[in-house]
Amino acid sequence: MNCSDCKEKLDRYLDRELSNTEMLELQLHLEGCPPCTDNYEFQASLKRLVKVCCEQDKAPDALREKLRQILT
Amino acid sequence: MAESPPQTAFAEEALTHLDTLYRGALRLTRDPDSAQDLVQEAYLRALRYQHSYQPGTNMKAWLFAIMRNLFWDRFKGSRKEDVSLDDVGEFVLYDKLRDEGAKPEADVLDKLAASEVVAAVEKLPPLHREVVLLGDVEGFSYRDAAQTLGVPIRTAMSRLHRARQQLQKSLYDYALESGIVRANGTKEVPNE
Ligand SMILES: [Zn+2]
Repeated sequence: MNCSDCKEKLDRYLDRELSNTEMLELQLHLEGCPPCTDNYEFQASLKRLVKVCCEQDKAPDALREKLRQILT
Repeated sequence: MAESPPQTAFAEEALTHLDTLYRGALRLTRDPDSAQDLVQEAYLRALRYQHSYQPGTNMKAWLFAIMRNLFWDRFKGSRKEDVSLDDVGEFVLYDKLRDEGAKPEADVLDKLAASEVVAAVEKLPPLHREVVLLGDVEGFSYRDAAQTLGVPIRTAMSRLHRARQQLQKSLYDYALESGIVRANGTKEVPNE
């Protein structure tokens, strides 16, 4: 595995969508390659940031109550 | 007539996914009232078609699919335009920041306001927005996201990849406008 393979598979590594073997290969590469690790951590932080920011919205209580009454 | 217990159990389980559906609807419609209408309609449809839900499968994905299909039904007129997605080309925020000497690159993320991140998600074309919601916000696997969107796994994956690049471009533009990063003139010029 070289840096460009690593970069190409980084999204799928981040999303845990590689095979076990590929996950391991990538992990080994990251352990020995600070620039790729840095990039990986950046992508992971960004993914987390999007999740945290978008998760702040919760369904209004009134909607929940209304649906409960309609549905049950 | 009293409700049958299975229907109540189904509704109770479906309602555990309400926040996910509401958030999704809010991002898709970008309007709280429309989001509530869309969610309500989705739940009513889910109840009507509950026989088509297979117990033990991913109910969250099933509900989300109903909701996004309703959303697309309403937007049918603009669907074609939405399908032709803007392509920002390869845009990797990390590389961009590194090239511009923003060190450490991750500091830039700390300076982005939550509202700007949400705004950047909402700026994505709907086909990209929904895949980011499923993949990044709700943590769907590629397989579940693909099934929810009714596309092959490869399509979901490449859409997510392009959506992330578009999102990064838009966050970068915001960071430039707000002075979080500066496009400086000190970029390294390759020797020879
Ligand atoms: Zn590397």
